[in-house]
Amino acid sequence: MQFVTRLLCLLMLFVFFTNGSSAQGFLKKLKDKANQVAEKALDKKVEEKTGIGQSGGNNNPSASQGGRPSNTMGEGLKNTAPPDVLQQITDADKAHDAGNFSDARYAIQQALLGVEIQIGQEILKSLPADVKGLPKDTLDDRVMSTRFGWANLTIQRIYQKDDKQLTVMIGNNPMYAGMMDMYFSNAYGVQSDGDNQNMKQIKVKGYKAAIKFDQGQGYSVLVPLGQSGMITLEGVNYTNEQDILAAAEVFDIDGIKKKLGEK
Amino acid sequence: MKFIIIICSIIISANLPAQELNFKSNIGNAKKSYAAGNLEDAHFALQQSMQELDIVIGKEVLKLLPQKMGDAGIVTAEDNVTGNVSFIGATIHRSYTTPNKKVMVEIINNSPMVGALNTFLTNPLLAGMGSDGKSKVLKVQGYKSRLTKEDNSEDATKIPYKMEIPFSNALVTFTSTNSSESEMIALANTIPFDQIAKLIQ
Repeated sequence: MQFVTRLLCLLMLFVFFTNGSSAQGFLKKLKDKANQVAEKALDKKVEEKTGIGQSGGNNNPSASQGGRPSNTMGEGLKNTAPPDVLQQITDADKAHDAGNFSDARYAIQQALLGVEIQIGQEILKSLPADVKGLPKDTLDDRVMSTRFGWANLTIQRIYQKDDKQLTVMIGNNPMYAGMMDMYFSNAYGVQSDGDNQNMKQIKVKGYKAAIKFDQGQGYSVLVPLGQSGMITLEGVNYTNEQDILAAAEVFDIDGIKKKLGEK
Repeated sequence: MKFIIIICSIIISANLPAQELNFKSNIGNAKKSYAAGNLEDAHFALQQSMQELDIVIGKEVLKLLPQKMGDAGIVTAEDNVTGNVSFIGATIHRSYTTPNKKVMVEIINNSPMVGALNTFLTNPLLAGMGSDGKSKVLKVQGYKSRLTKEDNSEDATKIPYKMEIPFSNALVTFTSTNSSESEMIALANTIPFDQIAKLIQ
């Protein structure tokens, strides 16, 4: 038995030394493997001692490739209360009396902003909680107002269930509303491009409106309100015109118009 | 006592300019409507008071403008201040004239559209791209401005120049029908931009 073992060892040594190149490769692989194991063991020890990952930054999500940290913290900005309207009006009055007209104007702008945000919030509250089976998604409720007066108030509410979505935007923008007025008063721009009728006039609860369809965006219904207001409904994955119009009929357009102060 | 107070307030009111009275009554209405929960009326009254303020500011700016531009005197009939709460804020206009020259100062303020134009004017790359060789960017009293030679006039000796000086959301446009470039800069230097900027920004 001892003889057989010795013979096998000799045979292995013979193969090992007669095939130099593969032997070198084998030795190198063996050395690399041993180094890897040793490094891992060392890293683990260091991590245990320091509590900091040592694996080339891959374990640390805040380190980017260039070695600069990327942000993984912070809870974002919180909504602040709208400006105190009465206080701003008082400030405006004081600034005006002192002949400081620039400050008076700023205070009036802030008061306007405060009133607009409150109007927007009231409108949001008045919108239905559910539109034909689609529940509201309050996370996407928005009231946006700029300091340029009444021109840019936008209120947004999204209703969504599965892949069906309805976005309602109520705005007060004379520019868009003016364009809609041009559309309604322009005889040749009202219908189709010849082949496909992708925009047409309709009525929603007695209000003149326009409906359009785009393959990528779905249905849009635009209802101008008074002099500068407008309701826009954007329906994704609505089956047909009747489907989106039934959704539009759910909204209290008269109430919204009144809240916007439109005649 | 009440009677005396009423008489005093009537006398004070009678001495107040109409614009100030309107401002006071508008903010009074805004306060009342807001307290009563009538947001639409409060909003409208605030808008009105802003418009009144724009007109007051415009008139103050007119007071700051020089009485003469070189040898050209003010055309008071063309003094104009328009307040408009919307896409264009207040517009302030003043003209000066001599028999062979007309100088005009026009200020549009509080307009977001002017903001976009200002970005264009103050960005050297954009300004360079928009340049046609007839305009150049220079500084007047430390404010960046663009001077444009508008040689569409039939008379080559009466070349009109236009100078635009942007503020954050306001634009001052200064034009003259018959001036040289150096005269334009000298005339622009008589306008107190620092004081105007304080009022309109």
